[in-house]
Amino acid sequence: MIMYLLKRLLAGVVLIAVLSFLTFVLLYMAGGDVARNILGEQATVETVAKKTHELGLDRPLLVQYADWAMHAVTGNLGRSWFSGELVTTTLSTRIMVTLTLVGGATIVAALLAIVFGVLAARRGGWIDAVVQVGAFIGFAVPNFLIALALVLVFAINLHWFKATGIVPPQQSIVGWLSTITLPIAALSIGAMASIVQQVRGSVVDSVSRDYVRTLRARGFSESTVIYRHVLRNAGGPALAVLGVQFIGLLSGTVVIEQVFAIPGLGQATVSATSLGDVPLVMGLVVVFVILVVIVNLLIDLGQAALNPKVRLA
Amino acid sequence: MSRWKATAAVVIVAALALAGCAGGEGEGKPTDGVSGGGHADKLTLTVIGAPTSYDIGAGAEWGQRSPYFESVFDTLLRQNSKGELGPGLATKWTYNSDKTVLTLNLRKGVKFSDGNPVDAKAVVASMERFRDGTSAQASTMKDNTYAAIDDATVTVTMSMPNPALLNMLSIAQGLIASPASFVGADIATHPVGSGPYILDTKETVTGTKYVYHANPDYWDKKNLHYDNLILNTMTDPTAILNAIKSGEANGAKFTDNNAIPEIEAAGWKVEGIQLDFQGLLLLDRDGTMVKPLGDKRVRQAINMALDRKALLETLQSGHGTVTQQVFPPSSDAFDKSLDSTYKYDPKAAKKLLADAGYPDGFEFTADLNPSFQTAYDLIGQQLKDIGITMKTEDPGQGQFIKALLAPKYPVGFMGLQADHNDWQLANFMLAPTGTFNPFHTQRDEVDGFLKTMRSGTPDEQVKAAKALNKYVTDEAWFAPLYRVQGSYAVDANTTLEYWPTNASPSIFGFSPKG
Repeated sequence: MIMYLLKRLLAGVVLIAVLSFLTFVLLYMAGGDVARNILGEQATVETVAKKTHELGLDRPLLVQYADWAMHAVTGNLGRSWFSGELVTTTLSTRIMVTLTLVGGATIVAALLAIVFGVLAARRGGWIDAVVQVGAFIGFAVPNFLIALALVLVFAINLHWFKATGIVPPQQSIVGWLSTITLPIAALSIGAMASIVQQVRGSVVDSVSRDYVRTLRARGFSESTVIYRHVLRNAGGPALAVLGVQFIGLLSGTVVIEQVFAIPGLGQATVSATSLGDVPLVMGLVVVFVILVVIVNLLIDLGQAALNPKVRLA
Repeated sequence: MSRWKATAAVVIVAALALAGCAGGEGEGKPTDGVSGGGHADKLTLTVIGAPTSYDIGAGAEWGQRSPYFESVFDTLLRQNSKGELGPGLATKWTYNSDKTVLTLNLRKGVKFSDGNPVDAKAVVASMERFRDGTSAQASTMKDNTYAAIDDATVTVTMSMPNPALLNMLSIAQGLIASPASFVGADIATHPVGSGPYILDTKETVTGTKYVYHANPDYWDKKNLHYDNLILNTMTDPTAILNAIKSGEANGAKFTDNNAIPEIEAAGWKVEGIQLDFQGLLLLDRDGTMVKPLGDKRVRQAINMALDRKALLETLQSGHGTVTQQVFPPSSDAFDKSLDSTYKYDPKAAKKLLADAGYPDGFEFTADLNPSFQTAYDLIGQQLKDIGITMKTEDPGQGQFIKALLAPKYPVGFMGLQADHNDWQLANFMLAPTGTFNPFHTQRDEVDGFLKTMRSGTPDEQVKAAKALNKYVTDEAWFAPLYRVQGSYAVDANTTLEYWPTNASPSIFGFSPKG
């Protein structure tokens, strides 16, 4: 187990190194006049050249990357070129916001997917049809359209929730809920649509197995059979989909945080990438890679807990 | 604001500025923010774009980002909501006879939020940091030297007169920060000034939300109408619209004028100013890259080929005013009659082109700004009607301005900031050394106008500015299409006086109703 974790850790480090270099190269190739972007159209060519030198952009690519990497291994990710803030500060203030949205959306999606998936598999008929059509629509409609519809109805017309920004929970729990509910709802619908199909299929497949017939023959109640045994077997594939969805939701925040003007990693990603804020983009890449590695590791561990056959040596 | 009011305001600004330039004395009455106005707990505004740095040596800016700086720093002079210059940290300002030394008398007893005094030494240190730094406008102060004569007197010495100096001291160039903050590692995000508000760095999320509380020691409290100020940075038009419609702000800058009916339907009032112009920059006026563009008849033909009214309607839904000059109405140089210099007349344009020796037209490649793709397409079609083929080339993401100023292209289309100060505008895009004169076009006439604008009497300066405007319009250095309406919306509980000289309203221009 420890060896497995060490291997995954090592793979994560290699992944960060490779992806950070590729990102650096891509940003370099994308070009863009970063100093001009910072200073605006009014700055003279000389001032732009001075800023370019100040940022070290007149150095060769490899020198720039080596400089970044050497500082990064010590935990110094530099300062944003467009705000002057330490990248580590930007990331630390924003990561909890994004994880709250993604974590909340994942939990909501998983719970509702289990309820509707089991319901559709066990009841069949019109319920199954409604769930399947609903899942199809939820999967097909982009989450930003869902977000816009939710804002229009629940924030602008009904004033039940906030349309923009986020209130920290330590400031006001009610305020916090009023700002995170709609983004979480917008994010979770698409994810739920994917997971519900997986749950439904797995349950339908499992209930026809011999062990289910045996459990029923031994007098176990239907709810015990379904929720303690069938779902446990169906949970493996659903967990894999959930993991993929979690990572997908991370990228979903890029749009959702823009629509709701939420200061998370997604919003920072859009802004930093479009401006060419290399230090911040690099910091975001590192954080996203770490999150993906951790999530995949947790899914592997979860799979092992659910199914002894895949337990790790 | 109606046109006559705007004109009156401009005349007052010009008179005040020129009085200072003429070796007179500016002193004065405090610049009131808004007349009357009550007091409220909080003002929440949405702003497009966050400050790149609060370090005045690296990120001092005005324009769209002025609220961030105006809230925490004082400027030496201050403009009020009518655009008039008045005292800020300096209560009196005097030029010497040849207008090369400006003496500023500072307000006494003012302190920075770190407790240090705002004295002459601090002002000199601050101005030197701006001059030697990399803020966008740093080069405008590069030849100045500063001296602290005593605790409350500063001199600015220039090698040549600078008619825009007083105006500059009321914007980014005049921002004063505590020198003690210059050594701090967090200077970019922890501003220390003497302005009306103090940034709450704990509640602030850099790049997104800036929270300020009223400065208890501020010297001009009567112009402060709110105890707290929140600036939410929003770039997404949908988020801005949602914030407006759901009432989550008191004021909002927005870029999509098509949203005006929707915003007004939500009970908000929309104020508009027209500062920038959009149009073709015919930069290769000497024909070094594309020979025909060196002939003024060709450039005039291009101006005559453009149906400005239709383009304004199509590209801006009519929100703006067609123009043929680069100087804005708030400037001395502006002349309304110049806006009818070129009548839309493709036939006459074609004839003029033939007279210039190009009966079959010619071809050139313009620097493509993808944000204005539709404008390029429509202009291209109208030029095609008189035989000119305008090809476009995308120089790459974020490379448009760099390529234009290199210069790699003879022509480009963009919205260009038209400063209300004639001298600043002339030096930005008309002088041989101007940033947006990348081919360094030089004409003796222009040099003469600039010389008079720099050193003439106030009357001569205004006449020279007007003559310069007429010259570049007649010579068709540009093909401006229209001045775009910059729009700002305020909710039903807020009153706004939108000063005519800046893209963003002053924070002193807001007050609660009732």
